Amino acid sequence: MLALLLAHLVAAVGAPALVRAFGRWALSLLALVPGAAVVWSLASTGPVTGAAVRTEVVSWVPALGLDLAFAMGSLQWVMVLVVAGIGATVLVYSAWYFADDETRLPAFAGHFVAFAGAMLGLVLADNLLLLYVFWELTTVFSYLLIGHDPTRRASRVAALQALVVTTFGGLAMLVGILVTGAQAGTFRIRELLAHPPSGPAVTVAVVLMLLGAMSKSAIVPFHFWLPAAMAAPTPVSTYLHAASMVKAGVYLVALLGPGFSQVPGWHGLLLTLGLSTMLLGGWRALRQFDLKLLLAYGTVSQLGFLLVVVAVGTRAAALAGLAMLAAHALFKATLFMVVGIVDRRTGTRDLRKLSGVGRSAPVLAGTALVAGASMAGIPPLAGFVAKESALGALFDVAGEGDGSGIAGPAGWLIVVGVVLGSALTVAYTSRFLWGAFAVKATVSRSRVAPAPVGFLAAPVLFAGSSVVLGFLGHAETAVLMPYAEGFRAGGSPSELTLWHGFGPALALSAVSLGLGLLLSWQHGAVTALQCAVIWRRSAEHAYVRLIHLLDRAAVEVTGLTQRGSVSTYLGVILVVVVLFPGSAMVAAAVDGSPRVIPWDNVGQVVVAAIVVIAAVLTVRSRRRLKAVVLVGVTGYGTAMLFLLHGAPDLALTQVLVETVTLVVFVLVLRRLPEYFSDRPLTRGRYWRMAIGALVAATVSGVMVLATGARTAAPVSTGFPREAVSFGGGRNIVNVTLVDIRAWDTMGEIAVLVAAATGVASLVFLRTRVSTISRIQDIVALPTGRRPGHGRPVWLAGGRALTPEHRSIIFEVVTRLVFYPIVVFSLYLLFSGHNNPGGGFAAGLVTGLALMVRYLAGGRYELDEAAPVDAGALMGVGLCVAAGSGLVPLAFGGAVLQSAVVDLHLPVLGTVHLVTSLFFDVGVYLLVVGLVLDLLRSLGSGIDRHLARESAGRVAETGETA
Amino acid sequence: MTWLVPLPVALPLLGAGLALVLGRRPLLRWVMSTAVLTTNVGIAAALLWETDRNGPQVVWIGAWSQPLGISLVADRVASLMLLVSAVVTLAVLVYSIGQGMTGDERDTPLTIYHPTFLVLSAGVSNAFLAGDLFNLFVSFEMLLFASYVLLTLGGTSARIRAGTIYVVVNVVSSALFLISVAAVYAATGSLNLAQLSLRIAELPDPLALVLQLLLLTTFSIKAAVFPLSFWLPDSYPTAPAPVTAVFAGLLTKVGVYAIIRTQTLLFPDSPLTGPLLWAALFTLLAGILGAVAQSDIKRMLSFTLVSHIGYMVFGVGLGTAAGYSGAIFYVTHHITIQTTLFLVLGLVERQGGSTSLIKLGGLAGLAPVVGVLFFVPAMNLAGIPPMSGFLGKASLVEAAIRVGTVPAYAVVAGGMLTSLLTLYAVGRTWNLAFWRTPEEAHEMIRELSDRNPLSGPDDVVPYRDRVRIGAGTYGVHDQVEARSVLDEEDDTSRDLFQLTEQGLRPTRLPRTMVGATAGLAVFSLGLTVVAGALFGYTGRAADDLLDPGRYVSSVLTQEAR
Repeated sequence: MLALLLAHLVAAVGAPALVRAFGRWALSLLALVPGAAVVWSLASTGPVTGAAVRTEVVSWVPALGLDLAFAMGSLQWVMVLVVAGIGATVLVYSAWYFADDETRLPAFAGHFVAFAGAMLGLVLADNLLLLYVFWELTTVFSYLLIGHDPTRRASRVAALQALVVTTFGGLAMLVGILVTGAQAGTFRIRELLAHPPSGPAVTVAVVLMLLGAMSKSAIVPFHFWLPAAMAAPTPVSTYLHAASMVKAGVYLVALLGPGFSQVPGWHGLLLTLGLSTMLLGGWRALRQFDLKLLLAYGTVSQLGFLLVVVAVGTRAAALAGLAMLAAHALFKATLFMVVGIVDRRTGTRDLRKLSGVGRSAPVLAGTALVAGASMAGIPPLAGFVAKESALGALFDVAGEGDGSGIAGPAGWLIVVGVVLGSALTVAYTSRFLWGAFAVKATVSRSRVAPAPVGFLAAPVLFAGSSVVLGFLGHAETAVLMPYAEGFRAGGSPSELTLWHGFGPALALSAVSLGLGLLLSWQHGAVTALQCAVIWRRSAEHAYVRLIHLLDRAAVEVTGLTQRGSVSTYLGVILVVVVLFPGSAMVAAAVDGSPRVIPWDNVGQVVVAAIVVIAAVLTVRSRRRLKAVVLVGVTGYGTAMLFLLHGAPDLALTQVLVETVTLVVFVLVLRRLPEYFSDRPLTRGRYWRMAIGALVAATVSGVMVLATGARTAAPVSTGFPREAVSFGGGRNIVNVTLVDIRAWDTMGEIAVLVAAATGVASLVFLRTRVSTISRIQDIVALPTGRRPGHGRPVWLAGGRALTPEHRSIIFEVVTRLVFYPIVVFSLYLLFSGHNNPGGGFAAGLVTGLALMVRYLAGGRYELDEAAPVDAGALMGVGLCVAAGSGLVPLAFGGAVLQSAVVDLHLPVLGTVHLVTSLFFDVGVYLLVVGLVLDLLRSLGSGIDRHLARESAGRVAETGETA
Repeated sequence: MTWLVPLPVALPLLGAGLALVLGRRPLLRWVMSTAVLTTNVGIAAALLWETDRNGPQVVWIGAWSQPLGISLVADRVASLMLLVSAVVTLAVLVYSIGQGMTGDERDTPLTIYHPTFLVLSAGVSNAFLAGDLFNLFVSFEMLLFASYVLLTLGGTSARIRAGTIYVVVNVVSSALFLISVAAVYAATGSLNLAQLSLRIAELPDPLALVLQLLLLTTFSIKAAVFPLSFWLPDSYPTAPAPVTAVFAGLLTKVGVYAIIRTQTLLFPDSPLTGPLLWAALFTLLAGILGAVAQSDIKRMLSFTLVSHIGYMVFGVGLGTAAGYSGAIFYVTHHITIQTTLFLVLGLVERQGGSTSLIKLGGLAGLAPVVGVLFFVPAMNLAGIPPMSGFLGKASLVEAAIRVGTVPAYAVVAGGMLTSLLTLYAVGRTWNLAFWRTPEEAHEMIRELSDRNPLSGPDDVVPYRDRVRIGAGTYGVHDQVEARSVLDEEDDTSRDLFQLTEQGLRPTRLPRTMVGATAGLAVFSLGLTVVAGALFGYTGRAADDLLDPGRYVSSVLTQEAR
């Protein structure tokens, strides 16, 4: 069975190519694949009749209980024949149906074969989850097939509608399946049926599964998607929406019936809705003018009927249900194919425009007549046999119950309903036959192009089968009996046959036939009634309303949440912080009284007060520069706190960082307005202040609580000893940075790389690689002289500046201090492991030296001082750091493991070298690169922007002058 | 094989350095970056194999004595995440090379892109491997800073605007993270996750809850859990396609991973089932309603991204092994599928000039390959069986049924509704962008631009100034877009119809881009094929998670505790 499915998959994938190569005739070739399934199924007839079940299991996802389990009993045997048989035939028919210039045929072929495979999988699956897999696949392929001609809005809308409606049911079904599986401990269908679970959970689960079945089989209130789906090409309607897919729901009910038909709700739900569907569909069919729509409503009606019969749950009804299912597939497929031919040969399907088609195409009309008779339940056709058996079974149920538990009034109601429904069936059948083929006095004769024999072959074959099947009642009974035996035997013997003898069934058949003929004779009255009774609130209308409602809910909710404003988003986040961690903090504080030490020394209080005041002033300041300076104050204050805690290294680094930041800010501020924009004092501001205060309270509270709760010794107590003994350095901070937690440092320098790159990206937009402009490249200096001429100067680059931007004293001082600062930074770098310093601080100092060069001499001076690409410098730094981390691996060490080496050098004497120095050098290079990059982008880059703009302004004013 | 553990971080960083040095050598840069990320895939696969057979692989960086230094831990969950993220980043890199080779440098300047992308990749790997809370913070900083750069590539005003929201929100969340780290250290005196697992258990419960909620809030911002998710759809969609792809695939999942890791390892006795389940429900619904309301595919997908985070939170909120197993599986699925879809959108953008549903049409016929590449992953996203989205969803529902509480069933219902609406949203997208003809789209643009939302009751839907055309409603911004399309003088905004008319539509797609996208799509289908083995693996991973003792004993020796 898996092999058959794989064959379908392969064929589906290869189908587009085949069709492109051989044109539409490739469809007949593809028909061989479902054809093989038919042959296989027929070959299994013997064992199936003997109640044997063919099985196949391949493990897939054991954790979910989902395996590729397949089984074929007699129910599946019928379904395979219907699904694959009609699939193969319709493929052959499609080869005739489509025109040569049909551009979407390759896709059609692929989707169609894939659908056939999915449908085959659906009926063979012996695992409910697996069944659901194929179930949804058929939905998706149905979507693609309905949308075969997507240029028409109707097909697109119908496709999506069918998809949404059937998937809605499908998802309900999925939950039902999962609940059932959880209750039973298995998803294997045969095991479930052998030992059906029960209980309220199972009742709900079964109802959910039935929702899926009903949405798929177009049962009220889900029925509306099916007529809309007639936008699909006729072969698709024939196969999916008459013969196979819409039967999936009926199949599911038939499948679960033996185990679950006594679950509360089963009968109430299925019989009520099934009957309503049968009547509603029949009634609607009577007012259609489009032949295809007429048939579609007829299908809806018949699906309701089928559902009623298979849901009842007696042996006779089960047998009749399956026979009806097969008969319906045969006659409905025939009729759809006939409509397709009429449509193709006359150019219309509107019964008001067709006249005399029967005379021009007698074979076609004969075929339709046979199929129609089967639909109406006229002997000796398959439809009659099945319908009469069904009527008989229902009559027995009403009279004696047959173990179904619906004897009495409910049972009689069903019988009456079904008879009425059958009468409607007779009526719309005659409407169909009359509409398609009769000669109408008021309508001009239709031109009918002759249909090729091949085109007619498929419907004729099926009509013939309807006749033959009518006479095969005995054999049919034998092969279907193993399934029907799953139900309790009723009062009268169950047998499918042409002649049940004179009895209630025959009478009911006759009554419905008579009533139906009466209805079609009095079609004028019927039409009048149709016009008088119009449902204003149809299910389709409700669907559209629902979608509009959804649309609106979506827009309203999204409008509420997506305000597009940073302050709202932050507000929400901070409120959450206050609500959850904040309230937990209050609860914890109430729970245990935290131990608080206000301060270690008074200096901390003073510094803290300064920091707080600066922070408040920052928020209140309107000038940007003032705000930046005040932020700097908070930073320097933090450095003071480090110092007071006895961490000179951290304090040094913090001060350097603050200084660089301040300079960078000032460089940026050149491009920004001097003042922040005015913000009116609104109520929102007080809310924000309140949120801010609450967040502050939360954070402080958490810190106090957390600090007070510590009982274990902190991990850092081990640092001093280990730093010397294992790290080989006496500066714990540096050992921590470049060795103990070097992995953090490596990450952080990568962050620096990213940050610098980001700044460069925003300023230069296109490229990371900076262009370095040396002073020699300038053609004309502001003084008018060429570079390289004139007397020597303190700073070469300074000559590129206009005189009013130059300061000789600054240039002189810069020239004097630059190299000492650089040397000092190198000292910091190399001594850092034992004394205050380290790569990071050293890099910042070098950076400050470069900053001074830039500030004194402008962008040319910067490039003179450091004629290297900043990005490359950072790259080298990162490579050195990461590389030095990887080197120990080569010697069998751990990443970033350091070694202590004592070198005896000629001049310097013994040098105590720790290999983590290489890592530190990487950090140093990277930080220098970072500062250089910031200067290039925010300094030189913005200089260029400004220069270009002022040049532009000059040009403009020149023009206007 | 513990020596492999640091490499997924160290190699990309080395690569990032090299990429900067190779600033002027594009070819070498491409070869190097691709080689690094391909190696990463290999390493991650080896780690996956090794951890599954021999337990967690632990490295103490620099061989410092426990618990002094930083530990990196590759256990089952981490290795799986590592592998998936490695595959995804490789695919995105190859894709962006393809984009760069076509001379589209303006959109993705590769000298900036390469090093930053590698830092991002290193950060993501490190986040999965981190065995130390502060190091986890550093990982977040690495990937966030890289993402700030990538999001604002090219510096267009839309990107700067989106970037502002993104950067501000993430800086605040990083500050919150830092505060949490400080609080944790203050309370326990340690940062090592294994040691924290032991020490937090000794804290008084109310304080432990405070720490848990702080961390949970922080990570929920990263993961975009309702109501901390609003920032995401406003920031992701404006970035270049490969960038959005990798963001959508990985960044939120790193947040989810952090939630899973800290919840199970640090707070195993406080599952917070109720709050997490409700959060999951609201995340699912608010997100998917957002998706339904969109008229741009990128934005629509960004909302499904938020929505489906709810599925993962769902699994975590159940707190059972089956729940975690489902959540991990779903993370794996979702990383792959979201990335694939955003990469496809890049192709759509190239072929159709836009990702706006107003401007697009007929792509299924015009670009059938793009059609297939969109349809299959989109159906997977919508949870159509037998694909991985369905399997993940089914496993979560199965887990929820076994838990059987009212909130669990509420999320099941919400999850199913989300699934249906996801299908509706992608189906509508398919109908409009792929099926409807460009002519019809153009007609609708005319109609839309003619409509005046204030003209009368017939035209106007009674909310938010929207007008209804056919089945959909359109907002004022859609009208503005429609008018700009029709504006003769504005040649920056053209719909597909005009592009085709004027012969401006590129007919060929770079093979690398299509190849990378198709490769990832096939990989995502592969997840379905190997689902049995994968669920076995995620099941074992979930068992590991629920037994923090295993993690602790594999990281710390008995003396070091």
